[in-house]
Amino acid sequence: MIIHHPLLGPRDAAEFVYKGDVTLIDRPDWQAEDAAEAFHDYLYLRDNPAGEHRELWFHEQGDRSWLVVTRNTLTHEITKVELARDVARERGRSR
Amino acid sequence: MTQTNRIGGRLIDRSRSLSFTFNGRAMQGHPGDTLASALLANGQQLVGRSFKYHRPRGIFSAGSEEPNALVQLRRGAAQEPNTRATVAELFDGLEATSQNHRGPLEYDLLAATDLLAPFLGAGFYYKTFMWPKSFWEKLYEPAIRSSAGLGRLSMEPDPDRYDHGYLHCDLLVIGAGPAGLSAAVAGGRAGARVILADEDFRPGGRLNAETLEIDGAPGHDWARTALAELAAMDNVRVLSRTTVYGAYDHGIYGALERMTDHLPASGGKPRQVLWRIYAHRAVLCAGATERGIAFGNNDRPGVMLAGAVRAYVNRWGVAPGKRVAVFTNNDDGWRTATDLRAAGVDVAAVVDSRGDVTMSLDGARVETGGAIVDTAGRKGLNRITLQNGDRIEADCLAVSGGWNPNVHLTCHQRGRPTWRDDIAAFVPGGALPPGMTVAGAAGGALTLAAALREGRETANTALEDLGFTASREPAPKAEDEAAGITPFWHVAASRKRAWVDLQNDVTAKDVKQSHAEGFRSVEHLKRYTTLGMATDQGKTANVLGLAILAQAAGRSIPETGTTIFRPPYTPVPIGAFAGRARGRDFRPYRLTPSHKWATEQGATFVEVGMWLRAQWFARPGETGWRDSVDREVEMTRNSVGICDVTTLGKIDIKGRDAAEFLNRLYVNGFAKLSVGRVRYGLMLREDGIAYDDGTTARLGENHYVMTTTTANAVTVFRNMEFARQCLWPDLDVHLISTTDGWAQFAVAGPNSRNLLRKVVDAAHDISKDAFPFMACAEVTVCGGTPARLFRISFSGELAYEIAVPARYGDAMIRALMAAGEEFGAIPYGTEALGVMRIEKGHAAGNELNGQTSAHHLGMGRMISRKKDCIGNAASERAELSREDGLRLVGLRPVDHGAKLDAGAHFIERGDASPSMASDLGWMSSVAYSPSLGHSIGLGFVRRGDARMGDIIRAYDPVRGKDTEVEIVSAHFIDPEGERLRA
Amino acid sequence: MPDLTLTPTPPLDGYAQDFAGTRLAEASELAIVAVATPAGGETALEAAVKAAYGTGTPAPGASILSKDGKARLVWSGPDQMFLLFTHDAPDAEAGVAAALGQAGYCTDQTGVWAALEISGPGVRGALERLCPLDLHPDAFAEGAAARTVMEHMGAFVIRTGSDAFLLLSASSSAKSFLHAVELSVRNTA
Repeated sequence: MIIHHPLLGPRDAAEFVYKGDVTLIDRPDWQAEDAAEAFHDYLYLRDNPAGEHRELWFHEQGDRSWLVVTRNTLTHEITKVELARDVARERGRSR
Repeated sequence: MTQTNRIGGRLIDRSRSLSFTFNGRAMQGHPGDTLASALLANGQQLVGRSFKYHRPRGIFSAGSEEPNALVQLRRGAAQEPNTRATVAELFDGLEATSQNHRGPLEYDLLAATDLLAPFLGAGFYYKTFMWPKSFWEKLYEPAIRSSAGLGRLSMEPDPDRYDHGYLHCDLLVIGAGPAGLSAAVAGGRAGARVILADEDFRPGGRLNAETLEIDGAPGHDWARTALAELAAMDNVRVLSRTTVYGAYDHGIYGALERMTDHLPASGGKPRQVLWRIYAHRAVLCAGATERGIAFGNNDRPGVMLAGAVRAYVNRWGVAPGKRVAVFTNNDDGWRTATDLRAAGVDVAAVVDSRGDVTMSLDGARVETGGAIVDTAGRKGLNRITLQNGDRIEADCLAVSGGWNPNVHLTCHQRGRPTWRDDIAAFVPGGALPPGMTVAGAAGGALTLAAALREGRETANTALEDLGFTASREPAPKAEDEAAGITPFWHVAASRKRAWVDLQNDVTAKDVKQSHAEGFRSVEHLKRYTTLGMATDQGKTANVLGLAILAQAAGRSIPETGTTIFRPPYTPVPIGAFAGRARGRDFRPYRLTPSHKWATEQGATFVEVGMWLRAQWFARPGETGWRDSVDREVEMTRNSVGICDVTTLGKIDIKGRDAAEFLNRLYVNGFAKLSVGRVRYGLMLREDGIAYDDGTTARLGENHYVMTTTTANAVTVFRNMEFARQCLWPDLDVHLISTTDGWAQFAVAGPNSRNLLRKVVDAAHDISKDAFPFMACAEVTVCGGTPARLFRISFSGELAYEIAVPARYGDAMIRALMAAGEEFGAIPYGTEALGVMRIEKGHAAGNELNGQTSAHHLGMGRMISRKKDCIGNAASERAELSREDGLRLVGLRPVDHGAKLDAGAHFIERGDASPSMASDLGWMSSVAYSPSLGHSIGLGFVRRGDARMGDIIRAYDPVRGKDTEVEIVSAHFIDPEGERLRA
Repeated sequence: MPDLTLTPTPPLDGYAQDFAGTRLAEASELAIVAVATPAGGETALEAAVKAAYGTGTPAPGASILSKDGKARLVWSGPDQMFLLFTHDAPDAEAGVAAALGQAGYCTDQTGVWAALEISGPGVRGALERLCPLDLHPDAFAEGAAARTVMEHMGAFVIRTGSDAFLLLSASSSAKSFLHAVELSVRNTA
C-alpha cells in the first residue's frame, strides 16, 4: 500500500505502523459521571465497516507524524490522509 | 547425438555451439536456445513422466505455461527441481535430468500405475485411504508421497544469493510483445519514466515466433528495432528475464528478475532479484496462452500446442517432428500448417473441427468438421486416428483449441474475467487494479494490428492522464490476420482418456465425474480434481476444464464462471522472497558501546530484541554460567560491578508542558519533581494493565530524560507521540529518542562511589549528602568529557548510572575498569543483573507481562487519584484492583536445596485436586541467589501481601515438580534500603 | 593512576572504501543537533535561524545549507529539524543552543546516528537494492531529505549532489547498516 502523506507525498506503507480506529483520539473525560462506561466503550467498542474507515497510522520510519487515513476496507482505496494532530484539534482536543 | 531436427533458426546464433547433457547424454545447442528447443533439436521428444500416472510426456508449449516438461537443472546443492524446460535458457555445460520416474525415463517402473488408472479417478485418495485411520501416517502417505510428485530437492542449503530492490516509474508495461513494445515506445517518446518487463530473455513476444510483418518488415526485426530505440532512451528501462508476478495495492507490482539463471555460475552476484515496482500507471500486455483440445491419448510426447510448434520452427529453427499434423478449431491453427510448410516440414494433415472452413493447404490432407479420437506411439507419437476411423502417420500433432488472454494480473485484486463469445475466451472484467489498463491479446485483441494499435492508444491515454503529451503518431502498420474460431473443447466420441490438465493428470472424465458427485462450482472442481493447481496453475487447462464442466452441467461458460487467479503469475522461489534475510543477515544487530570491549573480555552474548548484550563474562576456571553469574553478583554486592545498560530506551522530553505531560503518562505524580532529581515511574496501558516502568530525570526546567525498558523503547515512544499529537495536541512538549546517543553504564556496589570519584571530574561533588539517592546531574568525566550521572539502583546496592556520548562509550568502559581495578571491579552481564533485581524484588518483563495491574505489582497506592493519566480510569476496574487479588511477593523454597522454576502455579498445601478454581497464582521469575545461598522466586499470589510466612506449593505438572515455598517479602536483600542510600 | 582521558570512536571506526563506481565513507566528524519548535514559536525560531545561519528553516522533505555552507538544516518532522555540521567535540548542542537562544529546544543527536556518505556513478543502482524511495533526480532533487527504512533499519537519505547521498542510520546498528549498503554496492558493481 501507499499512503499519501499530507506533507511528504506518497510513501510506502512499510514505513508506517497501524494503530486503529480514529475514535481512539476521543479519549473520555476521566472525571465524568459515566467515566467507567465511557472508557469501556472507548477501549473495546469499534465499528467494523465494510467500506470507508478512518484509522490512525504512525509514520514511524518517517517524520513521526500520526496520520488519519480514510481507507476503504473493501478496496483498500485511500481517499484522504490528514495529520492526526489537526484532526484531534477538530475533534475538540487541546491541552 | 546431433541436432537432427535443426532446420534453421532466425533467433539463435548457429555460429556458436553450447554443450549440455540430458539424463547424462551429451547434446548440443546454440545461444538463443531454450533447453526445450535444444532438446527438440536433438530429437528428444520424451522429457518426463506425469505426476500421477507416470505417463510419458513431452514438451507441450514454448513458454512459461508449460505443464509437462519439468526438469531438474544443475547438480548438488544448486540442483533445482520443477524447472520448465521451455523457459530455461541454454548455457554451456547445463546439466538437466528428467523427473518423476523410477529407473530410466524410458522404462519407468512406476509406469504400471497407469494400468490402475480406472481405479484412480477424481477424489480417489479422499475416498480410498479413509481407514483404518492409523494406516494414514505410516503406510498410505509415505507410499503416495514416494510414488507421486515431481522433482527432488537437494536437501542442502541453497547456495545462491537473492536480493530485493525498489523501482519507480510513470508507466509499467508488462510484456514486450507487439502491444507492449508499442506501448513502451509511446511512453518513452513522450518522456515518461517507463519500465518494460518481459519474462523472456529475448523480448518481442509472439513476434519472435511468427512470420507476420510490421511496416513491411519481419515482425521480429521490428521488435529488435523498437528495443534498440528503447535501450537508447534514458527514461526507459527494459527488464528482460523479468516476470511481473503480482499486482498489489496502489500501483505496486512484484517482479522477479532472473539475473544469473542463464549463466553457468552466478559469480557471487544475486541469482535473482525480487523487485517492488511502484508504477503510476501500468499497461498489461501479457499476451495470450493457447489451449488444447481434449481427445483420446492427447498427452503423448509429440502432441503440442500449435503456436508452440510454430515458435520452435520460426524462432529456433527446430522441427518438432518430421511429419506434423494439425488439429484446430480456429484460423490461427492453420498458420502453423503454412509456417511448417514454408519451413519445409512435411504437413501430414490439417484437421479442423469446423465444418464451414474453406481454407486449404496445397498437397496436404484437410479434414473439415473432423476430429481426432485417438493417438498411438509408446514413447512418442507415431499415428493419429480420426473420428472417421482413418489413421494418419505423424510424429508431431499441433493442437489449437484457441487462445486465452492472460488476464491473471487483472484478477489480483477485484477483477473478475468476463466471457467473450466471439473469441471464445475470458477477457479482463470487473474492477481492474487501479491504474492498470490492458492492451493487445491480454485484453482479447488477438490480431497483430490490433495489438500494436491498442498498445499505442492505451499507453497514450495513460500518459495523458499523467500529464504527459503523447505523440499520437499512428501505430505501426500490420495486417489483421485471420482469427476466427468456433469453440470446440472435447472430442466426445473418444473412448480413450482425454487429458485436460497435463500437469495434474486430470481427464475429461474426472471433470464430469466430479460434477456428477456434486462438485459444481469451478472452485470445488479445482480442489477436488486438482485441475489448475501446481506450477503452471492450469494456464493451458483451466478454460478447457470449465468448458467441459459447463457442458456436463448444461450451462453456458459464463454461467459456470472461472477460478480467480492469485499471485504469483509463475512460480517465485522462496529464496527470492527471503532475499538477503538469511543467517546472520536475517535481521540487523544493535551493538552496545562496550561491545568491542566485552568481546575482548570473552563475554557471552544474548540477543535481546535486536540488541546483543553481554550475558556474563566467564573467567578462567569457571565451569559453567552459574559460576560466572554467582561471582559477578557477589563481587558487585561486595565491592563494585559495572554493566552496560545502554539498551534501556532513552527519550529526551522538552517543553514548557513537559512536566504536565509526564504527569499524564505515569500513574504517579511528576509535576513536583525538582531539577536534579530522578523518580521511578510506572506507566499503564489505557486498559489499566501495567505497561512499562523506568526512571525519569529532570535535568532542567523544561528538560527531562525518560528511560524505558529495553523491550518497550520503541512502542513507548510511539505511544508518547500518540498522546502528544492526538490526545493533547496543544501541549508544548517535544520528544526525541536518544537511546543510541548515550553510552550508559550501571556502576553498582559499596565501592561504586569510590570508583566514580576517580572518574567524575573533581568539580562535581558526588558525596553522599551532595548527591543523594535519586539525584542526577550533568557532569564531566575524565578531564572534561560531558556526562550525565544518575544515582539510581536496580541492584539494590549503592549504585549510579553514568552516561557519556555514545562515541566515548568504548573509552568509558575501559576507563571505568581501569579506575576500578583497585577495588576489584568486575563487569557483569544481563544474568547477574537479573539475579540482583530478583533479589531486590524489582519487577521486570516477566512481571509486566500484559496480564498484571499496578495493584498486582503492589503499586496500587502509587496511582495518584488527584490527576488523570493513561490507564488511570480502567485500572480501577474491579478485577484489576480487588483487595483480594494477586500480589507480587517473594517465594523461598522450604527446602533450601530445592530449585524453583518460573511458570509453576501456586496451590494450597492441602489441595488434593489442583484446578483452575484452586489456582493461587504463578511464579514469574526465579534465580539462584548467591547472596542467600538458595533459589528464590518472585510471583503473583492471591492476597499474597496478607499471607507473609504462609507455606504454599509451587505446582508444576509440566515439569513434574511440586515444591513447598514460603511467601516472603519480595525484597530479599536490604529491605530497608540502607545500602542504596549509603 | 592511569591516564583516563577519553578518546571518541565513531560508530564505523572512520570507515572509507572505494568500489568500482562507488565510494563509501563515514562522515565521522559530523555533529547532529535536533531543534524542536516550541508551540507557537515558529516565527521566533525562523528569525533566530535566519540570524544564526542566514537561511530559512527547511520545508518538509527538504534540507538547505546555511549561508556559509557549513551547516545543513534538514527537515525531520512537523515541528523539528536536524542541524548537521562538522564538529569534532562533544559540545555541538551547546553551540546550537547558544546560536538560537531560547527559540528552539536543542537535543544532541550526534551519537544517535552513524553518517555514511555514498557517492559515484553507481550510487543509484546500489541504493535501488535497499531504499524504497524514488531517488530519480526529478523526484528527489539535490537537497532532498527523507527518512525511511532499509533492511529493517531506519535511515535518513539526504541528496548532497547529483551522484552523492548522505545516509544517517542508528549508531547501534551502524555495522549492520554498513553491511547492507556495502552488499548493495557489491551486488550492483
